Amino acid sequence: MVKQSKVYYWMALPAFLVFFIFHTVPVFQGMMYSFTNYKGYGDFNFVGLKNYINLFQDQRILASYGFTFKFAIVSTLLVNIISLAIAMGLNAKIKFRNTLRAVFFVPNILSVLIVGFIFNYLFAFFIPQIAEKLGITSLTQNILGNPDLAWVGIVIVAVWQAVAFNTILYLAGLQTIPTELYEAASLDGAGKWKSFIHITFPLIASFFTINMVLAMKNFLMVFDHIIAMTNGGPGQSTEAISVLIYKGGFSGGEFAYQAANSVIYFILIVVISVLQIKFLQKREVDM
Amino acid sequence: MKKTWSCLCTTAFIASLLTGCNNQPEADEKIHIEFFQNKPEAVATFDHLIEKFEKQHPNIDIQQNNVPDAETVLRTRLVKEDVPDILAIGGNATYGDIAEEGLFYDFSKDSAIKRVIPDYINMLNLLGRTNKEDNGIPFATNANMVLYNKDKFKELGLQVPKTWDELINVSKRIQKQGELPFYFTYKDAWTAMVSFNALAGNLQGDNFIQDRSANKTTFTERYKETSEKMLTLLDYGHKDNFGRDYNAGNRAFANGDSVMYIQGSWAMSAIKSINPNIKLGSFPLPASNDPSQNKLVSGVDTALTMSKDTPHKKEALMFIHFLLEKENSEYYIKEQNSFSAVKNVLQNEEALKELNPYFEQQKITSFPDHYFPASMQAANLVQDFLIKGEVKPFLSKLDSEWNKVKARE
Repeated sequence: MVKQSKVYYWMALPAFLVFFIFHTVPVFQGMMYSFTNYKGYGDFNFVGLKNYINLFQDQRILASYGFTFKFAIVSTLLVNIISLAIAMGLNAKIKFRNTLRAVFFVPNILSVLIVGFIFNYLFAFFIPQIAEKLGITSLTQNILGNPDLAWVGIVIVAVWQAVAFNTILYLAGLQTIPTELYEAASLDGAGKWKSFIHITFPLIASFFTINMVLAMKNFLMVFDHIIAMTNGGPGQSTEAISVLIYKGGFSGGEFAYQAANSVIYFILIVVISVLQIKFLQKREVDM
Repeated sequence: MKKTWSCLCTTAFIASLLTGCNNQPEADEKIHIEFFQNKPEAVATFDHLIEKFEKQHPNIDIQQNNVPDAETVLRTRLVKEDVPDILAIGGNATYGDIAEEGLFYDFSKDSAIKRVIPDYINMLNLLGRTNKEDNGIPFATNANMVLYNKDKFKELGLQVPKTWDELINVSKRIQKQGELPFYFTYKDAWTAMVSFNALAGNLQGDNFIQDRSANKTTFTERYKETSEKMLTLLDYGHKDNFGRDYNAGNRAFANGDSVMYIQGSWAMSAIKSINPNIKLGSFPLPASNDPSQNKLVSGVDTALTMSKDTPHKKEALMFIHFLLEKENSEYYIKEQNSFSAVKNVLQNEEALKELNPYFEQQKITSFPDHYFPASMQAANLVQDFLIKGEVKPFLSKLDSEWNKVKARE
């Protein structure tokens, strides 16, 4: 037995080394750079906490955190509600069930950039044209060009695409529920809504947890959608944290400053994920 | 037994990883030189020139490298201290930052420097230089201008405007006759900088950047007129100025949806590929009412430079000198619809010819925003201003962003 467990160590070691060299080391390097005035090349000096102090006084950084959270919370909620509804539908005995399952999965295999460009076109030409015909004046202009509405456009695309993957997870969860439970419930006189609240939802609670955590984490790290659709504009109204880090750190030449921003960002995502898991798992046990 | 087997596997795996990284190319007689350039639309043009060069010098192999978002890639490569042998990059803040770090070769004693228009060398040196060195040689230049549809101008009986008031009059007349004066594409923030630069380059006054850096003046003091004129122009746009992007604008203007289009020389090829029959003309955006004061805003589109530490200094210089030869420079600007920094090489393209007097009389001024710190990201600030339409908050925002970035340095 002892011998066998050593074999497992040897199996895990290469992956650990690769992970450590290409992932963990750069993370620590980045943290080190956040205490310097490094531009990305050339010489640098250590400047202590200067980057972090400037960070908290920068309106642009604070605004990007505001936008990212607004976007992530709204999208996470929408994705979970919609994908659970779709999963329930696809789990029921309906015609063309397998075809429909395939259709709903398609958005997940499309590249975000392509989806973004397609929606870009829809928002710029297609929707305004329809709106004009129907006389809805508020939609006759591209919503991505409106600082107050652009984030809605991004939410629509992000949710449209993310729903596919979360539906699959919910579907897997729904299939673990034995049908006898529903039969028993209906004998006891429970309606559809009651059996959802008291059987379905509690039994897929662990899937709910993982979906909430994954969706929240993914949306907090939103990047491709914004690059494809607004590039942070109009103005700075859709500048997510990762977009700002990329733009400021590379094109803007403030590598160290944005490295400090990414350290804060990293800590924040870890804290939120841990809190979410703690809170939601406690709920799982309670039920 | 099991243990040794797994040991062997692991070591073999790690060994294969390590050799994977160290693969040395086999030695051959050719000298390989990397040529990093930032313009996707110029790949074929450079390929042609490289082929010609390699025929003259069979022992040299120039490898062109063009990647999307080249500036960002270049900056990431510099993180690894990996400077390409020869570079052809835009003359902007990125160039300045790298030159300042002393990573480029010093051309000040090279004969190539005498072949180009000195104004453009000054533009590059203002961006950044190491110890008074000349770190780049301007090759191709671009210009901000108003492109106009010659057929429509004739049809509507219009004259090319020489002053700001004439421009507004022309726009009013176009509007009155039911046509669209300008097609704005402000969904792409950078396109707002075209008109911004064209106006500010003429209106900001002398030594603005130096004075602003020394805190002797502010945007609030010098940029009021530019901002107000930006807003005035908006009155002559279409109804979704912030909803259309650059590609949509090229298509619309090429198809005759608007009479004029404020863009740079780089947009010409795109417009012509959409509508090969369009008859284009161009004039500098007249920023003021004194025609003698109105200059063409032109910048270094492509600066040639090389790594200070390249092992193939001689060969890299040979290629740079080759590109600056009259015939090759002429070929390049013809293909790219740009202008040449090489003395006495003029653009003969019908639509751009009208600008030649400005080059000959050296009525040229530089792009103001090339001298703003990059992390200010002025384009998004300008876009935001145009949406909100408030001059004062915009100007103080420009000042506060400038100060903030400078304070972080």
